[in-house]
Amino acid sequence: MSRDTRASSPGTAGPDIGLVFSLAPLALLVLSPAWRITRASARFLAEWRVSADDCISHELLSFVERHLHPTRPAHLTNLITCIDDALSTRAPRTSRPINTHYGVSWKARVVPVFDRDELLSIVLEWQEGPLDYSDLDPTEPGLTNDDAFRILVQAVKDYAIFLLDTKGRVATWNAGAELLKRYTREEILGKHFSLFYSKEEVDVGKPEMELELCLRDGRVEDEGWRYRKDGSRFWANVIITAVYRDGEHVGFGKVTRDLTERKSTESRLIAAYEESEKLKSDFLANMSHELRTPMHGMLSACTLLLDTQLSPRQRDMVSIMEESGQVLLQVINDILDYSKLSSGSFSIHSDVVGITSIVTSVVRSVQPSLPPEVHFELFLSPDLPRSVRGDPLRYRQILQNVVGNAAKFTDKGAIRVRASVDNEDDDTCTILTEVTDTGIGIPNSSVASLFSPFVQCDATTTKNYKGTGLGLSIAKSLAELMGGRIGYRPNPDRHGSIFWFTARFDKIKNLSDIRDWTRLGAARDASSNPAKKQDTTPSSPGGSVDIDEMLKELRIVSPVKSMLLVEDNLINQKVMLGMLRSMGFNNVALASNGADAVRMVRGKPAAYDMVLMDISMPIMDGKQATREIRDAGILVPIVAMTAYALKGDQERCLEHGMNDYIAKPVDKKRLIRVLGKWLLRMTDYRKTFDERMAELRHRPDALCQPTPSIEAENPLESFSANPVSSATLHADGDLDRGWEDDQA
Amino acid sequence: MVRRFTGYLAYRDPDERDPGNEMPEFGDRVDKDIFEQILEMDENDPDREFSKSLIFGFFKQAAETFGKIETALKEKNLHELSRLGHFLKGSSATLGFTKIKDSCQVIQEYGNRHDESAGDVPDVEVCLQKISAALAKAKVDTEELEILMNEYFQ
Repeated sequence: MSRDTRASSPGTAGPDIGLVFSLAPLALLVLSPAWRITRASARFLAEWRVSADDCISHELLSFVERHLHPTRPAHLTNLITCIDDALSTRAPRTSRPINTHYGVSWKARVVPVFDRDELLSIVLEWQEGPLDYSDLDPTEPGLTNDDAFRILVQAVKDYAIFLLDTKGRVATWNAGAELLKRYTREEILGKHFSLFYSKEEVDVGKPEMELELCLRDGRVEDEGWRYRKDGSRFWANVIITAVYRDGEHVGFGKVTRDLTERKSTESRLIAAYEESEKLKSDFLANMSHELRTPMHGMLSACTLLLDTQLSPRQRDMVSIMEESGQVLLQVINDILDYSKLSSGSFSIHSDVVGITSIVTSVVRSVQPSLPPEVHFELFLSPDLPRSVRGDPLRYRQILQNVVGNAAKFTDKGAIRVRASVDNEDDDTCTILTEVTDTGIGIPNSSVASLFSPFVQCDATTTKNYKGTGLGLSIAKSLAELMGGRIGYRPNPDRHGSIFWFTARFDKIKNLSDIRDWTRLGAARDASSNPAKKQDTTPSSPGGSVDIDEMLKELRIVSPVKSMLLVEDNLINQKVMLGMLRSMGFNNVALASNGADAVRMVRGKPAAYDMVLMDISMPIMDGKQATREIRDAGILVPIVAMTAYALKGDQERCLEHGMNDYIAKPVDKKRLIRVLGKWLLRMTDYRKTFDERMAELRHRPDALCQPTPSIEAENPLESFSANPVSSATLHADGDLDRGWEDDQA
Repeated sequence: MVRRFTGYLAYRDPDERDPGNEMPEFGDRVDKDIFEQILEMDENDPDREFSKSLIFGFFKQAAETFGKIETALKEKNLHELSRLGHFLKGSSATLGFTKIKDSCQVIQEYGNRHDESAGDVPDVEVCLQKISAALAKAKVDTEELEILMNEYFQ
């Protein structure tokens, strides 16, 4: 101030005072007593980025207001107060910083200039920078750091923030803590913080453990239930930090948040998700069940209808209904399997498993659907156990799926099925089953999603190959349920795929185990599946009507059918001959041992419509004879006549290439059923694959457009094809899917 | 006399039966259902040539087989004994001659060195003894049945 007055005194030699003012490296404004800007230094103009015209003669306050950013009236008020203060005390004052719109904040040092009591002028020196506390007037109200933090912590209501001493006793308490834990400051100070934990956690020493961990690691974070004064609990997120002063441990800082709301939201979300998953699975399971019941009704009706006298065209249509029904049923079964697997309600049964018999029977069931250009190769490792304990149905289901896929996607080449022991220990045995084909293979891009549900390789294959896309996903889950895995790799030799899966089985230690299980299984079958039993005792009035109808049909075709009866026992030969003749089969050739039979069939490969084959015969038994006939590529239906009552023995007949079996002594009703099945219901084995396909392809046309030529044909030739696979399925009781068991 | 061919197939009320064709009473020697199937094959033939030839063919076959079994017993040829037992079991079962069939089953099983419940029988002599006993029983049963059948087919 004295500098200013000296500089303004006239008569002193030196530079022009106006020039000095202008060039001084200070951002100065000179105001009139009415606070109007009278002069601004060059530095001010530059730093405020204004021209002289912008400010000279302008009101200070309105000028500053224009430059405020953001517009904070408080800042302006502060400046006013500051100037007023300076004027009243006649001493310089510094204002708080003012933010300008060009991003710089300024504070003004207000220097009033008096000539005695008269205010001459007010000089404002603008200084850049934030407020410096040291510059603050000691009388100005403000906060020290400590005060600020104390207030902050005390005021926070959403967090309990407090300090513990080194022993874990509560040393401070904030509003948040009081609100959250419901203890008042007076109540809690000095108490141990384990008060907030459950009794169980205190008993296992959790609070102390947390402090120990905290000392070791510097901090501990935990989520869990904490308890309020009133005993109610809340889900807390707790952070404990070790607090040091000058390197000395003085206690712990504890911050607790109430996450009860979030936790319950989470639980609600999870519950809602689980509930919806369960509802979905239940829905699928229920729907599938509801769908299957009428489906079965429809299919049974179709079967009954097929047993009646029908015109060839009617038979065609019923066959289509039946076949489509079977496909639909398979789809429904797949979905049911899938929903059961995904809901975890799928159970694995324990029964005796004959790996070799299952593998051969699956291969045999698929074989007839293959074009002649595809060969089946079957490798059964010699070390395969004869019988193991596990779920035969599920093993078969996986294999059927994988082999079925191979057959579906292979037009020529070979399908190789190989079963071997992957590894074994004293009690269990893991079987590796590999299916190699030379089919279309799997594009690399699809390999990753092969076993995902509802995914088929690509859109083009979906169109060509029907299916739900659930098969492999189900197979995967089944393999996993059986302690195994499933996988794919490309066929290294040729184009095609290798699918493999493993399944773990229990070893059977002694014979009595088998007997027990078989008995159990038999008891279960008998109790759970009365329908099956009914089938074997067709003497009920309803059953005999079907037999009568079938016999009538048989008698129509029997005169043109040529049969071969292979039986060594003359008496049995005569009885069979008598039975066949009574049905009108006059063309029955006889062989008294397997070797003769093979010679006769191979001599005239297309001569016989059916072979009835005894099993134990001198020179060559029925099994060997069947194998030789099959080796010659002749697919004539061969029905075993066996005196063996054991189920396994009958299965073995199928393994040897026979299509069906009939128990001895031959019951005529059963004979009629078997003859009917193979002579009336199956496509003639002499037809080539192409002919069968053509037959299948033409059938939809036959539906919309009557083709009288079919009527004129030999009715037997136009009898539609049930795929042979389904027939084999029925021949082998084991193949029934046992759904009733699943439902239980 | 013309009878419904399918009569035996359908469920048939016993009262509907023609009393003149009543099944002879063979007791537990013969499985009635199976034997009925045989008889019905020539039910239109008053002389029953077909079934007669079958039945008496069987007795001839049985006599021959019993002879072979005796020879095999002397030779202690268990394998052959089993085969012969199985052979005669087949025809006796086909005709429904239950008792004979059961004895043949015993011969077959012990020929395989198994007892009646499929347990192993290591002692060959035990097997031969059992087979001899079963053979004796089968012979008696066959003779008795032959007499009854002679009466029936007179």
